[in-house]
Amino acid sequence: MPDILARLVEILLVALHVLIFPGLLFAAVGGLLLAGIDRKVLARMQRRIGPPIVQPFYDFFKLMGKETIIPAAARPGIYKAAPVIGLVSLSLMMLFFPIFGHKAAFGGVADLIVILYLLTIPAVALIIGGSASGSPFAGVGISREMVVMLGYELPLVMVLLTVAKKVGGGSLVFSLQSISEWQLESGCLLFHWSMIPAALAFLLIIPAEVGTQPFDVAEAETEICEGPLIEYSGAPLAIFKLNTAVKMFVMTALFQVLFLGGINLGEYWLLGGALLFVISAVLTILCMTFIHAFTARLKIEHLFKFYWTVVAGLALVSLVLVWFGL
Amino acid sequence: MFKKIIAESMTKSPWIYHVNTGSCNGCDIELVACLTPRYDVERYGFKLAGTPRHADIVVVSGPITSQSKDRLLRTLEQVPNPHCVVTIGSCPQSGNVFKGSYSVEAPLEKFCEVDVAIAGCTPKPEAIIEGLYKAAQILKKKREAM
Repeated sequence: MPDILARLVEILLVALHVLIFPGLLFAAVGGLLLAGIDRKVLARMQRRIGPPIVQPFYDFFKLMGKETIIPAAARPGIYKAAPVIGLVSLSLMMLFFPIFGHKAAFGGVADLIVILYLLTIPAVALIIGGSASGSPFAGVGISREMVVMLGYELPLVMVLLTVAKKVGGGSLVFSLQSISEWQLESGCLLFHWSMIPAALAFLLIIPAEVGTQPFDVAEAETEICEGPLIEYSGAPLAIFKLNTAVKMFVMTALFQVLFLGGINLGEYWLLGGALLFVISAVLTILCMTFIHAFTARLKIEHLFKFYWTVVAGLALVSLVLVWFGL
Repeated sequence: MFKKIIAESMTKSPWIYHVNTGSCNGCDIELVACLTPRYDVERYGFKLAGTPRHADIVVVSGPITSQSKDRLLRTLEQVPNPHCVVTIGSCPQSGNVFKGSYSVEAPLEKFCEVDVAIAGCTPKPEAIIEGLYKAAQILKKKREAM
């Protein structure tokens, strides 16, 4: 009997992790707040008053209350499922992060590789949803989204390899738990000089992954009417907007786990969550809002060139340095 | 509870889609002025949407030329419910100085329901903001009636 009880408690605990902390609810609320902070700070930088910080929540609930139109040319099943697939993979990703002393809910030996795959799923969901909507504008949007993906994926893999090599020494270590434990002993990876180019490269990958201003070629609202999202309305659109917000949170959290994992708060997991959010907000302002405020949209070929030369170059410098044991 | 939150959110984040039906660009400029730092309607949650599918408020300017009439009506059909139609300036209301022209279909009321009509040639940004605010309130009522 106690066996069954223990099993039940375990299942409940997993459900709690998946749905509340650090899964869906925490990621969604954190992400939407980050998006609100981003909009507010951007407005202040343009000398506007700006929307309230909770504005993305209003947007989300409003879209939830709108009619969902499915175009005649669309494939209804895929069209409605695509945003949910993206959201599931994003909130799953939060479960792999050891948050400042809080042990990861789903730990394993190859977290980094799983995360690499989970990170591509939201972008793929956008591509699938866009192509299922049957609009020519969406067609242009998804082709651009694919090129953007190719652009940032290469430097991202190189950064992850660099981290794995640095932590593993002789071999590669892909477990986030071990990465964070290693940093507890020998200091945050950000403060190892050979890792600084990789950290910079990762900071430059974040806006492309999220799709904010200079790198929002796929969803360019002024030229191709929000690309893959053009036909979406109502609840599916709300979930796509939520995906973008959660992506902000997940990417900034991943940066903290990879490069700032050395802060340990032990038992205070709630405080760890709060600290995670605060640093995420700082990173969002630093690498998304600031760049958004003073740049215009890049052309797709310029974006691709930038990622495969400058960003990949930065990551390569780190990778070579780490490979020689520095 | 969610119904209440959704109805409340309707007034807080109306997204605008702007259709120009042969306007002289005066009203369009005044609408854009509302989005600039001086008036900044984004502080009430207003945002310009890129496509009619995302829109809550469709803003129409211009005297509805015969060429643009069908296109305007097709655009309005694509907007998900609940939505509002707001006209800016005297043109869509009466035809203004173009009234009686062979190529102008002026009053928009002939073709669809207009929720708010902002008069003036051109209306001031303050008037436009007030009209948009009223439209947002109507949006909430429409949602509650749904």
